[in-house]
Amino acid sequence: MNTQWMKTDVLIVGGGTAGTMAAIKAKQANPQGDVLILEKANIRRSGAIAMGMDGVNTAVIPGNSTPEQYVREITISNDGILNQKAVYQTGKLGFEVIQELESWGVKFQKDAQGEYDLKQVHRVGKYVLPMPEGKDLKQILTRQVKRHKARVTNRVMATRVLVKDGRAIGAVGFDVRNGDFVVIQAKAVVLCTGASGRLGLPASGYLYGTYENPTNAGDGYSMAYHAGAELTNIECFQINPLIKDYNGPACAYVASPFGAYTANAEGNRFISCDYWSGQMMLEVWKELNSGKGPVQLKMTHLDEDTIAEIETILWANERPSRGRFHEGRGENYRTHGVEMNISEIGLCSGHSASGVWVNEKAETTMPGLYAAGDMASVPHNYMIGAFVFGRLAGTNAVDYIADLEHIEPDAEFLEAEKTRIYAPMTRPNGVPHTQIEYKLRRLVNDYLQPPKVDNKMKIGLRNFERYQETLDLMGARDPHELMRCMEVHFIRDCAEMAARASLYRKESRWGLYHYRVEYPEKNNEEWFCHVNLKKDSSGEMFLFKRPVEPYIVDVDIETEVYDVAVR
Amino acid sequence: MSNDIDSELNQWLEMLQSSDLSDRLVAVKSLQYLGDEDALEPLIAALGDESLAVQKLAVTALWELANPKAVPALLECLASPDLEIRAEALSALGELISPDRLLLLLDALHRDDLNMQLNVLILLRKIHDVQSLPYVLPFFESENAQLREAAVTTLRYLNQVERCDRAIPLLSDPDDSVRRATVLTLGHLVDSEVVPRLCQVLTSDLDWQVRRNAAKSLELHADPAAVVALELAIADEHWQVRKFALQAWQKTPDNRTMPILIQALTDEYSDVRREAAKSLAALKNPAALNALQQSLDDPDRDVCIYTQRAIETIQAATKEISNA
Amino acid sequence: MALITQRVDVPVIVDESKCLEKCTACIEVCPLDVLAKNPETGKAYMKYDECWFCLPCEKECPTNAITVQIPFLLR
Repeated sequence: MNTQWMKTDVLIVGGGTAGTMAAIKAKQANPQGDVLILEKANIRRSGAIAMGMDGVNTAVIPGNSTPEQYVREITISNDGILNQKAVYQTGKLGFEVIQELESWGVKFQKDAQGEYDLKQVHRVGKYVLPMPEGKDLKQILTRQVKRHKARVTNRVMATRVLVKDGRAIGAVGFDVRNGDFVVIQAKAVVLCTGASGRLGLPASGYLYGTYENPTNAGDGYSMAYHAGAELTNIECFQINPLIKDYNGPACAYVASPFGAYTANAEGNRFISCDYWSGQMMLEVWKELNSGKGPVQLKMTHLDEDTIAEIETILWANERPSRGRFHEGRGENYRTHGVEMNISEIGLCSGHSASGVWVNEKAETTMPGLYAAGDMASVPHNYMIGAFVFGRLAGTNAVDYIADLEHIEPDAEFLEAEKTRIYAPMTRPNGVPHTQIEYKLRRLVNDYLQPPKVDNKMKIGLRNFERYQETLDLMGARDPHELMRCMEVHFIRDCAEMAARASLYRKESRWGLYHYRVEYPEKNNEEWFCHVNLKKDSSGEMFLFKRPVEPYIVDVDIETEVYDVAVR
Repeated sequence: MSNDIDSELNQWLEMLQSSDLSDRLVAVKSLQYLGDEDALEPLIAALGDESLAVQKLAVTALWELANPKAVPALLECLASPDLEIRAEALSALGELISPDRLLLLLDALHRDDLNMQLNVLILLRKIHDVQSLPYVLPFFESENAQLREAAVTTLRYLNQVERCDRAIPLLSDPDDSVRRATVLTLGHLVDSEVVPRLCQVLTSDLDWQVRRNAAKSLELHADPAAVVALELAIADEHWQVRKFALQAWQKTPDNRTMPILIQALTDEYSDVRREAAKSLAALKNPAALNALQQSLDDPDRDVCIYTQRAIETIQAATKEISNA
Repeated sequence: MALITQRVDVPVIVDESKCLEKCTACIEVCPLDVLAKNPETGKAYMKYDECWFCLPCEKECPTNAITVQIPFLLR
């Protein structure tokens, strides 16, 4: 097997929303610097927006809302646990991002007067900006990466961040097509690997029938952990109301400005706001358990032209196979509600709050290591937040490396990592990764899916710990299978983090995301704090409370409680 | 490394000249992925390939290159006999067109080709330039309904235009979609006959979507003179007309409408009931409290929430008055 | 370890009569890298059943040779 050595100034792991933006901004900050995007797929069609996006969820446009209002709304919807300074960045820089994307050819919906056509989907404030022609987002970003002369290496998967002298000095991984061992030296590393989207098992039983792009297996959560960085709010799971079986979004936020709404089986609304939140998920869970289910996205009351318009948007963007799914079942928005279900769990700060700890500069707690996008803990950050933090990571990484030299990685570490990566190839007749992954994720469903029960989570944790040995049974026959095997390692790490963090926070918070049967109430006295975790010096997972940073926008979280169902 | 790219580019450029159609398809697709600016001219030439499939891929490839030099050639594709090529070229131009191309567009508008004219009318909306008005107006009298609809819609996007009496006769157009578009455009015009004519359409047009759009436009005008027509529309046979009429009414609340609003609280459609509750909140008249109390157990949660808010608003307003 | 080969209904269907041997468009865009060329025929096929039914392979195929079905378990 060959070893490829590469050297760059700023290494960006993952070429999706945040990664492409980080690369562009790093090149803008220093056109002479070398920037390399490492992507395990192909950046033309990778990441959460591989097939485009039908709208922006968190657009703070002057004249419509302010960064302060946005921070307030996110503070309340995330039950007060956040670093406001980081969230403020999304509110402050989001508009510049939208303008820059527009100058690159991305089209946002505008009214006849040429003003941004914002829609209200949140409880208060208009933050949703449709982009009915958003299907080519990724090609546009790819073009800009090319024009800015950032380098791209496709089809190489990172497995570990290289650390020496207390800072990140590169990454190691392998080529998923030819199997080469790849070592990249860098002065700074930006992790943008997306959500941990393959954590729970979808009800369909299909491993890749996930909401998130299934390539997003929690790579960055695990790599940041092993590098020694802190992770936070892991117990604040991502759980979404999705089209049953299809497991993709029905996009109520796209359809609701047209008059569609989430309803119970009787066709009546039971929540007043279609914006995804743990509180909303709890109401969905209650409604499903009250015998008034199934829950549906209702459009049958709308007229032909309106429905046709909704279809055009929904079937061209984000998840274009939705139309095919409905058609295969002989269902139609004109005659059928879209049956919705509660998804399996995942970790994703883009939607909820779990991720690698970052401050308002996209810095993790490990010098030289940055994180952005769904894996970086900035609550409810969505696509615009990914762009904003990609931008911050790219720019700040360039500042950081100004006086730095490359450091030679530790030969012993490289040898050990090489052995770890290629172990499944030494067992071509080992248990296939599909079976190992299926069982692991089924255990996640059995023991971690909320409502969270103390004893169940303890059994789950024991299973995840023991699963280290199970991973050693896994066999691979080619580099592609090896990629999936290494992803299962990431998934196991995320499962253990999810169990430990959920057990640690002894209260309920964020609606269904962290609903604990033994501690059903929110307890601000003891738990108004982050729960962070990291790898301690002995290699054990260590959990601790981290105080919430002082607010920069005043919110009284005792009286201002997020509510989507009460009068 | 740059040598590698050059040789790769040359290989595809050569293949693009092949007599074998499959080779040309592979070549144009590969050039799209490569995204090399040096392929611009050959790709423009490929727009004239004998194969429609190659032509369409060339449009896509040029779109991805996003070089404004390709605009005139892409504009020609708007008259292609192939629907997919026209649609792809329109999308590409929607992204690439800039205000300095106005004359090129206006010139194309004179071409005697329905598809070209339709697509150029759509592209003019991206530019928002009042200079195009004299070129758009003649299409109001076109024999083709699609062109009339496209032209009156484009008028809405020409921001500086405040008055345009030549649009008003289109309210009597025989084609539903022309009238629907016209009514929306009139929401942005201030000619003196606009509001009376919108009121007339709101209560008499046979197409409910025209009536609904008239309500939307009247909401923009927020003219108290429309109240009577809006009252009638709150009892329209189509629920969307009722809903949007209520929203328009909320811009100019009038106590005389209260009985109609109370009736709307029991509408079959929850959206209408919710708008009725919001309307009563806007009125702040305590005489509505009894009716609102009964709506508190509406099966729809949203209606309950807005009813509760209406009650609170009215009670607060009443208290203020009694304290004053 | 004893292993067997199982039959599986796969989502990505390639019409071999349309697939071009020199073309790798679908293979290059698949986020999960599940498509490959059959070395004997030069035609693309779904080598691994790991599909997100996201459709770039179908959209990018220059000859419309690819049809993506919703995976059977979800269909």
